Amino acid sequence: MNSVLLSITISILFGIGTFLILRRDIIKVIIGLSILSHAVNLLIASTGIFDGDKVPIITGSHESAVASGTIFTDDVVNGVMSPVVSVMTGTHYVDPLVQALVLTAIVISLAITAFILILAYRIHEEYKTTDLNEMKRLRG
Amino acid sequence: MIDVMQHLPILLVAIPILMAAVMIMLRSHPKLQNILNVTVSIVLLLMSIQLLFHVWDNGIQVYEVGEWGKYGILLVADLLGSSMVLLSSGISLMALIYSLDYIQEHSLSSTYHSLFNLMIAGLNGTFLTGDLFNMFVFFEILLLSSCALVVSQGKGGHTKTSDKMEATFKYLILNMIGSIVMLIAVASLYATLGTLNMADIAVKISALSQSGTLPWHLFMIAPLFIIVFGNKAAIFPMHYWLPDVHPSAPSPISAMLSGVMIKVGVYGVLRVCFLIFPDALFLLKPMIIFLALATIIVGAISAIGQNDVKRLLAYSSISQVGYIFLGIGMGTALTITASLVYLVNHAIAKSMLFLTSGSIIHHAGTRDMTKMGGMIQSAPLMSSAFLIGAMSISGLPPMGGFIAKFMLFDAGILDQYYIPVAIALLFAVLTLFYMFRAWLRMFWGEERDFVEHGEYRAQNTSLYVSIPIILLAAAVIALGLYAEPLIVLSQAITDQLLDPQPYIDAVLTRGVR
Repeated sequence: MNSVLLSITISILFGIGTFLILRRDIIKVIIGLSILSHAVNLLIASTGIFDGDKVPIITGSHESAVASGTIFTDDVVNGVMSPVVSVMTGTHYVDPLVQALVLTAIVISLAITAFILILAYRIHEEYKTTDLNEMKRLRG
Repeated sequence: MIDVMQHLPILLVAIPILMAAVMIMLRSHPKLQNILNVTVSIVLLLMSIQLLFHVWDNGIQVYEVGEWGKYGILLVADLLGSSMVLLSSGISLMALIYSLDYIQEHSLSSTYHSLFNLMIAGLNGTFLTGDLFNMFVFFEILLLSSCALVVSQGKGGHTKTSDKMEATFKYLILNMIGSIVMLIAVASLYATLGTLNMADIAVKISALSQSGTLPWHLFMIAPLFIIVFGNKAAIFPMHYWLPDVHPSAPSPISAMLSGVMIKVGVYGVLRVCFLIFPDALFLLKPMIIFLALATIIVGAISAIGQNDVKRLLAYSSISQVGYIFLGIGMGTALTITASLVYLVNHAIAKSMLFLTSGSIIHHAGTRDMTKMGGMIQSAPLMSSAFLIGAMSISGLPPMGGFIAKFMLFDAGILDQYYIPVAIALLFAVLTLFYMFRAWLRMFWGEERDFVEHGEYRAQNTSLYVSIPIILLAAAVIALGLYAEPLIVLSQAITDQLLDPQPYIDAVLTRGVR
C-alpha cells in the first residue's frame, strides 16, 4: 500500500461504516454494511498496487514467463514473497490476482445485500417499523 | 476408465451444487425430488467414507482445480478435512430423511431441497479447501443457504415467521461483519506474504520467523481469525446470536446448525492456529482457554433458566463448544485428541437431540417445557432417545459423551492445567443438572392439565422420523461402548495437525502448467 491518501480514504470509509451499523434504523445498518464491504474491497485492491504501469499478461507457458521475468518466483531467504516485492527489485507490475479477489467479494456482497434488503422489507411488513429497538421478541 | 478415487474431493463439492440446480428444475415432481435427494445424500456419504479410507491408506490427497499449482485453487483432503466431511455427510443424510416428513410440502419441494444441497456443498468445500480466500467463498455459500433454510417453515408452524426473520437478521448481520473481518485478515496476509495458499503461507511464515524478520502485525492477524471462526462457533463474546437462530430454525436445520455448522468454526481455528500460525500459539492459547471457559460458564448458566426446550439445547450447544475450545486452547497432543473426540460425540448427540425435540414439540403442540409433563406414557421412543442424548451430553457412561469428557479432563490434568479443568468440571455438573431437569420436566411426573392445554397428539412414529433418531442414538451408544476407532483416528489427526510438514509437502510439490 503506497498511497497515504488511499489509506486515509479506506480508514474513513471504515469509520463511516462502523458508525452506520451502530444506528437503530435497519436501512442505515444495511447501508453501513455495504460501505464496510466496499472499504474492504478497496483495502484488498490497494494491496496489489505496486509503483508500476506494465500489464501482467502471460503469453506462452509458465516456464517461459519465469525466464522472461514476467513471473518472478519466491526467494524466501532474501525476503522476496512473489508477487509482493520491495521497490529495490525493480518490478513494475500491478498484481492482477487481487482484482479477481475483489470481483468475487463484490459479487458475494451483492448477493447478501439483495437477500438482506428483502429480509428488511419482510421485517417491516411483520413489525410495521424499521427501528431495531422495537424488534425485541427474542431475548438472546 | 476414469479413476474416481482421484476425483473424490471435487465430486464431493460439485455433486451437491449440481443437485441444487436439478432440484429447482424438478420442483413439480416432489416424489422424484425426495427419492433423488436421499439417494444422492447416501452416495455422498459412501464417497466420504471412501475418501477417508483412501486418505488413511495413501496419505494426504491434493486435487488441483485447473493446473495452476499453488497459485490456483487446491482441494486438500487430509485426515481432519475428510473426517469432518464424513461427519457432516452422515448428519446431513439423517437430517434430510427427517425433514421429508417435517418440513411443509410446499416449502420442501420449492426451495428446501436445493438450499440443503447448497449448504452441503458449502460445508464440504470449507472442509476440503486448501486456500484461504476459497474458504471465505464457501463460508458465504454456507451463510446464505443456511439463512434461507432458517426461514423455511416446518409443519404445524410452532415458530412465528416474524421470530424467524428477527433471528435471521441478527445471524446475517453478525456473520456478514465476521466475513468482513475475515477479508481484512486475508488481505493483510496477502499483502505481507503474497500468497493465499495455506501451505505456502505456513512455509513463508516459518521462514520469516527463522530469520527473525516476522512482521509484528502477523500477531494482530492471528486474533482476527479467532474473531471470525469464533463468531461461526459462537464462543463467548460472539455467542448471543446462536440461542435465537438455532431454536427458530425448523428442527432438522437446527440439527445441522448445532451439529455441523458451529463445528466449522472449530475446524477453522484448528487449521489456522496449527498450520498457519504456530509461531503465534503462545499468544493464542491463553486467549482461547479464557474464551472457552467464559463460553462454558455463560452457556451453562443461561441454559438453566430456560423454559423453551430448543432454546435450552441451543445454550447447551454454546457451553459444549466451550469444552471443545478448551481442549484446543490447551494445545497438546492429548488435549487436541480429546477435543476432536468431544467434537464428534457432541455433533452426533446434539443433532439427535434437536431431531427428537422437533418430534416432542409436534407431539405436545408447544415449545414450552412448563406445559409438558408425563409424556413417557404417550411418547416412549422420543423419551428414550432424549434420555440417551441427555446422558451423552452430560457425560454419563456408557454413552459417547462420557469418553469425551473423561479424555478431556484426564488430558488437562496430565498437562497440569488444574484451574481450567476445575472450572470445566464444576460446570459439567451443571450440564448434568440442566439436561436432566429438562428430561424430568418433559417426560416424568404428572401429565399436563388437558383441560387447559389440550390433549397430546399421537406420537409420530413414521419411518422418516424414527429411523434417523434411532440410527443417531445407536451411534451415540456405539461411540461410548466401542470408542477405540474414533480415538485412534483422532490421534492420527492430531499428529497431522501438530506436524504440518506432510501437508505442506503434499501441497507444494505440485507443478505449474
